[in-house]
Order: sequence, then C-alpha cells, then structure tokens
Amino acid sequence: MIKDIYTKLSYVVWGLLNIIHGQIVKGLIFLSLEISYILFMIISGARNLAQLITLGDKLQGMNFNEEIGIYEMTAGDNSMLILLYGVITIVISCVVISIGLFSVSSGKAARDRALAGKHNNNFLEDVRSLSNNNIRFLLLSVPVVGLIVFTVMPLLYMILMAFTNYDQNHQPPGNLFDWVGIKNFITLLSTGDRLASTFWPVLGWTLVWGFAATFTCYFGGMILAMIINSKGIRFKKFWRTIFVFTMAIPGFISLRVVATMLGEKGIFNVLLQQWGFTNAALPFLSNATWARFSVIIVNFWIGVPVTMLMVSGILMNIPGELYEAARIDGAGPVTMFRKITFPYMWFVTTPYLISNLISNFNNFNTIYFLTAGEPHTLDYYKGAGKTDLLVTWLYKLTKDSNDFNLAATIGIIIFVISAIFTLISFSRSNSLKNEEGFS
Amino acid sequence: MKKAVIGLNIKYFTRAVVFGILQFICLFLPYVNIEGSKHNFFHMTSMLIHTEGGSKLNVVVYGTIVFTILSFGFVVVNLISKSKVKVQIWQCLQAINTVAITVLLFSTKTIVEKAGLARGFLNKDLGLGYYGGFIFAFLTLIFVMKLNETNTGYIVLTIMGIIWMFPILWILLTALRAEQGYYVGYFFPKGLTLSNFTKLFAKDSVIPFGKWWVNTFIVAICGCVLNTLIILATSFTLSRTRFAGRKAFMNVLMIIGLFPGFMSLIAVYNILKGIGLNQSLVALIIVSAAGAAMGYHVSKGFFDTIPRAVDEAAIIDGASRLQIFTHITLPLSKSIIVYTALVNFLAAWSDYIFPSMLFGDKQSSYTVAVGLYWLTDFRRIDRYYTQFAAGAVIVAIPIVILFIWLQKFYVEGLSGSVKG
Repeated sequence: MIKDIYTKLSYVVWGLLNIIHGQIVKGLIFLSLEISYILFMIISGARNLAQLITLGDKLQGMNFNEEIGIYEMTAGDNSMLILLYGVITIVISCVVISIGLFSVSSGKAARDRALAGKHNNNFLEDVRSLSNNNIRFLLLSVPVVGLIVFTVMPLLYMILMAFTNYDQNHQPPGNLFDWVGIKNFITLLSTGDRLASTFWPVLGWTLVWGFAATFTCYFGGMILAMIINSKGIRFKKFWRTIFVFTMAIPGFISLRVVATMLGEKGIFNVLLQQWGFTNAALPFLSNATWARFSVIIVNFWIGVPVTMLMVSGILMNIPGELYEAARIDGAGPVTMFRKITFPYMWFVTTPYLISNLISNFNNFNTIYFLTAGEPHTLDYYKGAGKTDLLVTWLYKLTKDSNDFNLAATIGIIIFVISAIFTLISFSRSNSLKNEEGFS
Repeated sequence: MKKAVIGLNIKYFTRAVVFGILQFICLFLPYVNIEGSKHNFFHMTSMLIHTEGGSKLNVVVYGTIVFTILSFGFVVVNLISKSKVKVQIWQCLQAINTVAITVLLFSTKTIVEKAGLARGFLNKDLGLGYYGGFIFAFLTLIFVMKLNETNTGYIVLTIMGIIWMFPILWILLTALRAEQGYYVGYFFPKGLTLSNFTKLFAKDSVIPFGKWWVNTFIVAICGCVLNTLIILATSFTLSRTRFAGRKAFMNVLMIIGLFPGFMSLIAVYNILKGIGLNQSLVALIIVSAAGAAMGYHVSKGFFDTIPRAVDEAAIIDGASRLQIFTHITLPLSKSIIVYTALVNFLAAWSDYIFPSMLFGDKQSSYTVAVGLYWLTDFRRIDRYYTQFAAGAVIVAIPIVILFIWLQKFYVEGLSGSVKG
C-alpha cells in the first residue's frame, strides 16, 4: 500500500521513486529541477504568463514630476517583450513538464525493477549508458536544445504574432499592441481591402512562379542530361563542367551579376542595341510582364545544371535492355522518351518534384537578388512589387514597414500551402509503396 | 538506286542535299534592305570592298559566302559519288558556314554602319535571303550530321554552353577591366588590369573586403564542422536506433520545416540581442548550427541503406552504440560526410538574409554575401562595379574548384536525396 502512495506522490515530488529505489543522484536532479522551476514561476514565470493575456496595459507616457519640476518619461509596458517572455515561459514549462512526466515513468521503472529484484543503474552506470543504449540522449540533446531555442520558440512567437495587431501603428515601446483574434487572416483573405487585393495577385504569381520554375528546370535539365549522356557525345566531362560552373558559383553572386547585366544600361541592353535587335533599351526588370519572364528564364539558367546532375544519376539506373527491346521493335527516340525514359523519371522523381515545388514557392534568393520584388506598383500595398513572392513580401513587411502581424499571417499561409503539397506527396508515395514499383 | 556506304546513314542524304541547295540559292536572294533597296550577298560584298575603312567584321560576310559555296561544292561532289571522307569534309564546311551566318545575325548592323551604308540599321531590315540562309544552314547541318552519324546534340550543347558561359565570362572580364564604372558600351574591355583585385585588399580601401572574406571563411569552417557533426549525429540516431517518440520527432521536424525559414529570424534576433550576441559572428555560427538538424534527410537515407546486420554483429562483439557510430557507420559513409560538409560550407558563402539582419550597418562584420550585395546598391554600383566583380571572382574561384573537385560526392548525395 505504502508503495502506491509513493508512486502517487512522485507525480508531485519528482524523483521520489528514484531516490527510494537507490537512484539517489538521478532523483535529486529531478527534484532540484522541479524546485528551480517552481522558484522561476514564482519569481517571474507566473507574471509573464499573466501579462500574456493583456499584452501589457500601461502606456509609455510623459508625467509631470513635481519634485524636480519637469516632465519625465515613464516606461510603459513593452508588448513585444511581454509576448517574447510569455512564449519563453510557455516553452520552458512544456519542457519541464515533459521532463517531469519522464521522471515519473523513470521512477516507476525503477520501482518495478526493484520489486522484481533486478539491479537498478546507479548514476555512473546511467552516464555510461549514454554511449550505448541511451545514445539518443547523448547525440540528440544538442540538436534538440538548439531547435527549441532557435527554431521552435521563435516560430511560436511569430505564430502568436499573427493574432495581434503588431503593425506599424502599434510599435513598442511607444505603443502597445493587443490580441485581435483572426482579424489579420480575414483582412488578407477577404476581398475589397487593399491588403487583400495585394495578397491574391501575389499568391497567384507565387503559384505560377513555383510551377513554371520547377517544370522548366525539370524538363530542361532532363533534356540536357539526356543529350550529354547520349551515345556519340565525346568529352562528356567537359560539357558537364561547363554547366556545373553556374551551379558552383554561389547563387547570390551569379544572381546579382545577372541582375546588373539586365539593367537598363546593363550589358544585355547594350549588346542587343549594338547587334541591331532593338532601338531602345528593353525593360527586362522594370516592366511587370518582362520582369516575370526574366526571373523565370534566369532561374532556368541557374536551375538546369542541378537537375542535369541529378537526372544523370537516375538515367544510368534505367535498365539498358528496355531501350534495346524498344529499338528492336522499331521505336524512335521520341517514342522511347515518351514510353521509357519519361515514365521512369516521373516515377522516381515525383517526391523530389514536389519538394522542389515547395522550395520554389519559397525561393527567396532568386527573386530578392534579381529584382527585389520590383517593379513596384500602385495597385499593391506599399512595398510589394509585381515579382514579389509571398516570402519576399513577408521579408519586406518585417524589414521595411514593420507590419509584423501581416508577415506572421503570411508565414502561416505559406505553411498551409506547403503542408497541402506535402500531404499530396505523402499520399502519393504511400500509394506507390504498396505497389511493386516501376518495372 | 541507293548504294550503302559504310558509316553513313543514307536515308538523310536527300534532305541534306535539298537544304544545302536551298541555302546556296539564298545567297542570291536579298541579304539586307537598306533604305528600300535590296542587296544580295554578292552585291553587298562588292559594296563593302569599295568602301574605305569598313569594319573588320566584313570578313564574316566574305567567309559566309566562301564557305557556303564550298559546302555547296561538296553537295555536288557527294551527289556524284558519296564517301565517308567527303561527307566529313562537307560537315566541317557546313559547320563553319553555319557559325559564320549566325555571327552575321549579331554583326550585320556593325558592318553596314561602319561601311557608311546605313544608319539605325535593325535586324528586321535583314532580307529574306539572310533568314532563309540562316534556317537552311542549320537544317543542312543537322541532316549532314545525321547522315554522317554524328550526334546532333553537339549543336544544342554548343549553343547552350555559350549562353551558360556568357555571364561568367562577363564577370571575369569586368573584374579585369581597367575602365571603371557600371555602364560601358562594349563587351570586351579596352584595357586589362589587376588593380581591381589589389584595391579590394588595399589598406586604405573603403571596402573591407579582406575582412569580409575572413569573416565568411570563419563562419563557413565552423558551420561546416558543427553542422556536419550535428546532422550526422541526428541522422545516425534516427536511422540506427529505435525509441519511443522517434516518429513524432521526425514529424515535428518536418512540420517546422514547412514554415518559411526566416519567419522566425526576427524573434531570433531579439533573443540574441537579449543575450548580447547581436552583431557578432558567433551568433551566426550558433544559429546555423541550431537549425542544422533539420537537414538530416539525406544522410539518414544513406545510413538506412547500411545493413543492420553489421550493427548487430558489432553488438555481439561487445561494441557500444557510440563505437558503432564512430568506428563502423562513419567510415562507411565517406561520400555522405563529404556531401554534408560541402553543402554546409557552401551555404555559409551565400547565406544572405540572416547576416544582413544581424549585422545591420556594422560593415566590419559583414560576410561576403552581405558585403557584395551592399556594393551593388544603386548608390554604389557605378563606383564599385569592377571591384564588385573582382570580389565575386575571388569568392567564386575557390568554391568552383572545391565543387568541381568534389562533384562526385555531390552527385551521390543529390541522387540519394531523390531516392530517399
């Protein structure tokens, strides 16, 4: 009976069972963790959580100080810091509580082993087991801590921001911001508002861009790889190296260079005029339609070599007998591509294509370094341009106009879009796993 | 009656001959329309010869004519009797005249204007004879190559190769250009110099490029080591051990990965400011290492392919998991280690968003990506364009060498990521 009470008590006093059953150091660690957590909550944690409800209510202001006889600045609440501390408290609580639950189960295991008359590891043995059965704690601790501090926590912070009115008119510390529920989503997704009439065209262009960028590079790279790998082409390595050059140069360099080349006084315009193709400079990056084609073509230039290298590896896996048989049956190169090469490639690369599609929706670098979203237009919410993707718009909203709530809302929408495509990819690959595959 | 000739694919012969003849006929059709009057190739030649001080490019016109006639000659020769050698010569001549007539597309304006024959010439003033000749030249070339059983892919590869190398050549030439400035009205520099490079590293230089380069190098090396260790550790644990919450952990990583990466950077920036690490390289290294675990897929996919029997045998022999990791798995995974290290090393060189946010206007901390972007701002581009180009070359050269050297591993990792 008494043992059961200890078990129940161990939910409140962490590590109790461990201490009773001989794992004193381990139990004390759990206990001290619990105590320090409670102290933390008393000192600041509870206040952090409580303030999270209102996000601060004391406005910064000027008060007349009668003793000195001048107006004084009194510090108000800083909603941004309140939100940040609140999130940190929540994350710490989650981590600590899950460690608490772990301590309970660890205690129960120690109890059961003791009851069964088995040996319980002492602390040294526990440490030693880190390199063997418990290697996951050793190897994953650093990545998990890193992810929690620098990815999960900030992400949570930004997600919460989507439900506030932290925009340019509510900038801490001068102003407070507050919870507004899903108002940001409604503003963005409804019609009629200036923001909505920016959001929908930008979303449309993001989708068009994603598909165009992915498929042009996919087919371009495939055709290039097939040409280089076909019989009768000599110096294969030389040709491959030419194309690998563009891939090896860091993206921002080649993109910035091409951007300067495409400018109104850039070398392309200079040469086109010298060669007699046009009288006046072509608006490669300054006209909306031109700019959209330009970014897709430049992306083609950058992306084809990557696909080429990837496809080269896969092409070599296609059994040569298939082609041999097709040739005997009198199939031409086009038929062979349509009936053998392409179905095989399509089968193998569908997951790659979808992940590539998602990364193209989020292709910040190409757009930002090439056009920075320009040309600007008066139809859009300020700052956004005709070649802006959702991500680049998000970046501008945070960097230039401080509309953090909108940026966070867009981030969540991007997440939803990516998630939809990922689910499609998953359902496809699951259905394929059950088949015997391409044969 | 058709006679088979060894090494020739005779079924393309007729088409090659027809297009060859058509191309020859085009020489007599109008090449350019100048102010309403049309001139064919021969008329043009006589006009060019009679004008003083024309462009050096006049040679191209003469060359086009000569080589078109020569390859027409080989059409006739081959019509009389075919042989492998004759067709090969025909192919060579045809290739030369195709290149020549293509160059004319880009140089006719210069030729005509230098000779003083026209002003404001545009390529739409080129005549039917030119465009016909251009198209038939390529068609003839294709069919002669098919006839000769040469892979026609060479044509595509040559054209694409030129397009692909063009910007690279441009940046190289700009880096070596003696004339400063962004806008120059020509492709090849008038004077060559290395001063753009030396200026970057000069002590009194406005641009602390040497500092930028060292900064980036430090970040790249640290990031490469730390990130690779973290990725390998994560993927080993997820691949070779089984524990409660493993699937859940992978799902959480996937869900986090679906958010745009830099959405959280504002908050990261605030946190770093809180712990006093903003504007420092350490922050950059820590943040990139903290997120490294997200890139575990490729190496996990690779570890999955190592047979579990290897591990089990080692366990029976008394090896601990850690020993399996360091003594068995890692030595078997050389290619994936190189791939991971390479990718992470390269990432540091082109990472822009976070460093630019982190360092703000503290130029001495910039990495090359932030610094070079800063140089191409419209306020600075004209002054620093050649130095920007030199900087770009300095950054690109080691990376290109590294990349081409380790290309094999990169391809393995890349195709692994597709399968995995």
